[in-house]
Amino acid sequence: MSDAGQSPMIALEGVSKTYPKQSKPAVAELNLQVPEGAIVTLIGPSGCGKTTILKMMNRLIEPTTGRILLAGEDVTDVNADQLRRRIGYVIQQVGLFPHLTIADNIAVVPKMLGWDKRRVASRVDELLHLVGMEPDDFRDRYPRQLSGGQQQRVGVARGLAADPPVMLMDEPFGAIDPITRERLQDEFLEVQRQVAKTICFVTHDLTEAVKLGDRIAVFAARGRLAQYDTPSEVLAHPADAFVAEFVGSGAAVRRLSLLQISQLELAQIVISGAGAAPKDQPVLSVDGAGRPSAWHHVPGSERPPALVTVPLSGTVYDAVDVMLDGRAPVVVVVDDDGRPRGALRWDALVADLRPNGQLR
Amino acid sequence: MGSYLQYLSENSTELVFYAQQHFLLVGYSVALASVISLVLALVLHTNQLTPPSWRRSLQVGSRETALLFASAALTVPSLALFGMLQPLLGLGVTPSIVALTLYAVYPVLRNTLAGLSGVDPAILEAARGVGMGPVRRMLRVQLPLAWPVIISGIRVAVLIVISIAVVAAVINGPGFGKPLQDGLARLGSVNSFNEVITGTLGCLLVAAGYEIVFVVVRRLTTPRGIRV
Ligand SMILES: Nc1ncnc2c1ncn2[C@@H]1O[C@H](COP(=O)(O)OP(=O)(O)O)[C@@H](O)[C@H]1O
Ligand SMILES: [Mg+2]
Repeated sequence: MSDAGQSPMIALEGVSKTYPKQSKPAVAELNLQVPEGAIVTLIGPSGCGKTTILKMMNRLIEPTTGRILLAGEDVTDVNADQLRRRIGYVIQQVGLFPHLTIADNIAVVPKMLGWDKRRVASRVDELLHLVGMEPDDFRDRYPRQLSGGQQQRVGVARGLAADPPVMLMDEPFGAIDPITRERLQDEFLEVQRQVAKTICFVTHDLTEAVKLGDRIAVFAARGRLAQYDTPSEVLAHPADAFVAEFVGSGAAVRRLSLLQISQLELAQIVISGAGAAPKDQPVLSVDGAGRPSAWHHVPGSERPPALVTVPLSGTVYDAVDVMLDGRAPVVVVVDDDGRPRGALRWDALVADLRPNGQLR
Repeated sequence: MGSYLQYLSENSTELVFYAQQHFLLVGYSVALASVISLVLALVLHTNQLTPPSWRRSLQVGSRETALLFASAALTVPSLALFGMLQPLLGLGVTPSIVALTLYAVYPVLRNTLAGLSGVDPAILEAARGVGMGPVRRMLRVQLPLAWPVIISGIRVAVLIVISIAVVAAVINGPGFGKPLQDGLARLGSVNSFNEVITGTLGCLLVAAGYEIVFVVVRRLTTPRGIRV
């Protein structure tokens, strides 16, 4: 694998867990390596052992057999409470302490680690900023005075408080409404860009797993690791029938969200009034600032279609989305200043998109 | 009515003394019962977390058994309990406090156990997940969150004990039991009815006093984030 050579941040070696009074193990003989600084999303059907695997990493559950190494060190060699203070842990139910203020919730681990007051207070403010909450507004509130999405942001901040190298997250956005969830995911990626933690992220939502994961670990029943690879590999080349079925019929559409528009070769656009245009190229009218105002002419259309645009930083998924939404056969790709950089055509997209998600 | 007011003013020093006694008798008993219940509940609650195989050999240590004993104490007729304690502890204040403590344990113990096990498991798991040890988890998270339930158990204990305390008069105990019993024994004679009324109203007065105490204590001891 590409990150061989560098030793993994988290390594599970032959890890099994059989719960008391159960005849079959919940997790059997699992080997998994999580490279430093990567987000690995753990996905699989309900009851396949994802939570069990995660909790073994911070010893909320002790494995029956096998070893778990954190930065090369066997986790059973350290005191469990001290271990957990070095691992951020975020759960779906959030589990904020309702009797403590937001600041005190975030400060729990730093205080246990004996940080002095000033350092704790400035860290709290720093983290609230990081998760997009104004410290002066939120520091002294109580959890029940926050929305679900805000509570989960605080949950993430609490997990990050003592700057742990590793974060374990168990369906953190699972109970959040879809629109807020998407925003939290975007913010989470932005936070990760700044903090670069090693993250194990459990989810049962394939879209989330694909969006957030540098790698996806797909689990089948009893914690069997069915495939462990990059999102595009998992979508394009499922390792077996189980993964294929799990990835399901939506795989081709999901892959679109992995494909950046900036990676594609865009169709040329001619700006109207800028001289004679070749017959087969679309012609665009622009306003005074050079931003697109309307289509002047689009080859193959008798009347110019509605104008839709997508930012260059978006994905092909976004492009398809606005085209469907605006019933337009072509979309203008614009840069940060809103100026046209080229176009993506529906027919070219459908004809040329290969199974591996690349354009010809 | 006029004659009752006259009775009150003539006996005011004595009545204030009864009120003080009654208030303190209830206070000491419930305080003692609260300490006992809290310790017992912490032990039992922790015990509940030990493996079932251990618990089986410690059957007496289960919370059901403890609650059974405590509720049995509550069902013993109060007159009988005071009578039974007399040969062991004699007359007066000590046996009165002991008996009332026995009555007060059940409501406090029951609510403490209910409060502790009523704490959201996700919050306790989060506490474990951030690296709080068992003691810190109990003192910093579980007890504060269970506190409103515990304190309402203490309040119920106070109300129960206020009315039972009048029976302490049979073993020369302190409080409003004295005028009540004197009055009942001499019903029909001078002032006997006034004494009965005084015993009853006295209990209500003590109860009202405690209600005020509880409003203040609850306000001061319940963390702001979980105040309703
Ligand atoms: N404390 C427990 N005792 C016994 N069985 C358990 C316990 N926790 C989980 N299990 C079982 O282990 C399996 C895996 O559970 P879990 O790790 O929670 O799955 P997931 O998080 O993937 O939904 C399930 O079959 C579940 O019933
Ligand atoms: Mg789970």
